[in-house]
Amino acid sequence: MGYEFDFSAVLTDQYIDWLLAGLRVTLLLTAGAWALSFVVGTALAVLRATGFRPAVWFVSTFVEIHQNIPLLVQILFWYFAMPEILPESWREWLNRNNSEFILAMIAIALCHAAYISEALRSGLRAVPVTQYEAGRSFGFNYIQTMAYIVVPQALRLSIPPLVNHSLLLFKNTSIAIAIGVHELTYQTRQIDSDTFRTFEIFLVATVLYLVLSFIIMAVGNLAERRLGMGVR
Amino acid sequence: MLEIIQNNWMLLLIGQYPNGPLGGIVATLLLAIAGLALAFPVAVLLAVARISPFRWVSLPAAAIVHVVRGTPFLMVLFWSYFALPVLIGRPLSGFWTLVGALVLYESAYLAEVIRAGIQALPKGQEEAARSLGFGYFRTLALVILPQALYNSLPALIGQFVSLIKETSLGYVISVNEFTYAAAQLNSQLLVQPVEVFTILAITYFIICFTLTQSARWLEQRIARSRQGRPGRREAQPQTDILATEPMP
Amino acid sequence: MKLKCFTIALMATALSVATAAADQLADIKSRGTLICGTLGTAEPFSFANPSTREIVGYDIDLCKAIADDIGVKLQMKPMSVEARIPELVQARVDVLAGNLGYTPERAQQIAYTTAYFVSLQKLLVKADSDFSKIDDLAKSRISAPKGSSSERYVREALPQATLLTFQDPPSAFMALAQSKVDAMILSEINAEKFVAQTGQKFKFIDQPVAEEFWGLGIRKNEPALLEQVNATLKRLEQSGEGQKIFDKWLGETTAYKMKKPFKFDKAVSDPVLRPAS
Repeated sequence: MGYEFDFSAVLTDQYIDWLLAGLRVTLLLTAGAWALSFVVGTALAVLRATGFRPAVWFVSTFVEIHQNIPLLVQILFWYFAMPEILPESWREWLNRNNSEFILAMIAIALCHAAYISEALRSGLRAVPVTQYEAGRSFGFNYIQTMAYIVVPQALRLSIPPLVNHSLLLFKNTSIAIAIGVHELTYQTRQIDSDTFRTFEIFLVATVLYLVLSFIIMAVGNLAERRLGMGVR
Repeated sequence: MLEIIQNNWMLLLIGQYPNGPLGGIVATLLLAIAGLALAFPVAVLLAVARISPFRWVSLPAAAIVHVVRGTPFLMVLFWSYFALPVLIGRPLSGFWTLVGALVLYESAYLAEVIRAGIQALPKGQEEAARSLGFGYFRTLALVILPQALYNSLPALIGQFVSLIKETSLGYVISVNEFTYAAAQLNSQLLVQPVEVFTILAITYFIICFTLTQSARWLEQRIARSRQGRPGRREAQPQTDILATEPMP
Repeated sequence: MKLKCFTIALMATALSVATAAADQLADIKSRGTLICGTLGTAEPFSFANPSTREIVGYDIDLCKAIADDIGVKLQMKPMSVEARIPELVQARVDVLAGNLGYTPERAQQIAYTTAYFVSLQKLLVKADSDFSKIDDLAKSRISAPKGSSSERYVREALPQATLLTFQDPPSAFMALAQSKVDAMILSEINAEKFVAQTGQKFKFIDQPVAEEFWGLGIRKNEPALLEQVNATLKRLEQSGEGQKIFDKWLGETTAYKMKKPFKFDKAVSDPVLRPAS
């Protein structure tokens, strides 16, 4: 009695639909969390760069908290605990609008924002002070100097760690399964419990994840070659 | 919240032990330690293979590292869960299933940490050893690796923190560890998720933060002890080392 | 492709080694313990006694009876709802007492003993909601524990509803209590404790979504073990001991106030969708 692979059992129209639906949610979750984490991460890094004591303290606390608690726990916390603290009307709105997706997105985004802000901090430190001075002598104010001159360079300097974190963020969307988000891993398990063709469906899902990861790595390499500043 | 801790600290600390399987914080730490200890030798081999001058050695190693880095830890965990017992031909406990996944996943990340440590060493070290008549393997084992491992010690601690965080995903396959204990507590109390998850988060934070801080301290010490040596490559900014870890 | 053939060959050998070990009953006897899988988070079937942190319940007492009849020690193994069938198929447990409803699909994977419980799967909603019959929930959001048969019943009875599945029944219930879903599907019996504990108001949709028959799970092609366990169930039924165990956890003196609606020596059968209430 051997194990016979039978991919036709898991690749019927119905299950392909499920997989595609899961893939769609995974991609949406990745895109949403990625955008949010870059916005928040950049804001945090800039805030820290001001050197203003309370701001530095706030950012470093934010970073330590998000780096030292497992993402799964952060997601569970956002899902089960955070809405209880929110005002009633917000909670109702969330419950009406796929709260599990939104809360998973926020949890993943904030966790990775901490890592992104750290990567950018190194980048910001590597931008020569003269760049900042040049910006100011142009007549730019602090915000403008940061936005147009310093941050873009810091971003380019930090491309390798930023790509690394984008990849991790993508992979970590799978943890949203714990609060019932219908992403790729969730659908995979669903098909598994329907068909019991465990190896086939997990092989399909793993290959899907790998292909997407390799695309992210390739785009990252391209970005590094085109935009990177050769600092490692 | 204090009351919950008072009534349930045993469950959170050691799970159902001795009336049932060991769980809680102690199991979480044991899982991470076992994972690190077993992943370490594999990682050293992978790292050495990665920088091998022979392509037939370095290419497969690079492929392994890239495939693992491209796969979510949860997928690795499910593979360990479904395939490992079939491959070794006997059932595995939840504990060892999770350790298996940690070893598989972490070896790739640890290997990159160690490789970075090796490549950060000044070229002169290797040349000096070779000129003393050491062969490739002796140079590696006696000169390069000891220094590289010592220098990557802080990053290794950072990696240990990652392992601790990854063990939390054992919850998804019902491994008795800390997050699972909290879930059990939740199912008893039912209406106090805020308190239970706060306890869970704070405890993880205390454990991991202590470790990250000691890694930073160690890193500064090592950086100081290396100072003044000629030919040294500029040290990476410290945040990079702690930030390249994977981190569910 | 060579690699794939190799892997398949490897798995095939591994599997054949596993099956060659054959008779599980003999294994149990030689190792001196019966490993019994339970959920561990499903009062009154199997749950952690808060003071001793030991798993106790209806399922455990049944497992004890089985172990006693074989003459070996009992070892409990807690597992999640969705892991229970893989765990059994991979022989990580000998007997599965895990709120396991009979479905024809599952019967292809594992063997069932005679019945050990009959459960009504109902939809639980908040008391102040407007839902009163199953079809009111046609397009709503419904929570269920992962990998449970309840999940399937919802999909069959309410194909347009959005199903959210959770790690364990309490998490699925918490989602209802926090209004993240409109309804939760679960066995009527499991709901009692949840409802009592939260102090919030909930109500059942009267008509059950399904009636299902629970059996203990055994690995397929283990006739000796199956016969042994069925013999124990038969003994429990005939001696009245089964009634005692039932009453201890589910009977009049408990919060559930149930009368035993089944016989331990009757074979399990297909679930009935939307039985008349």
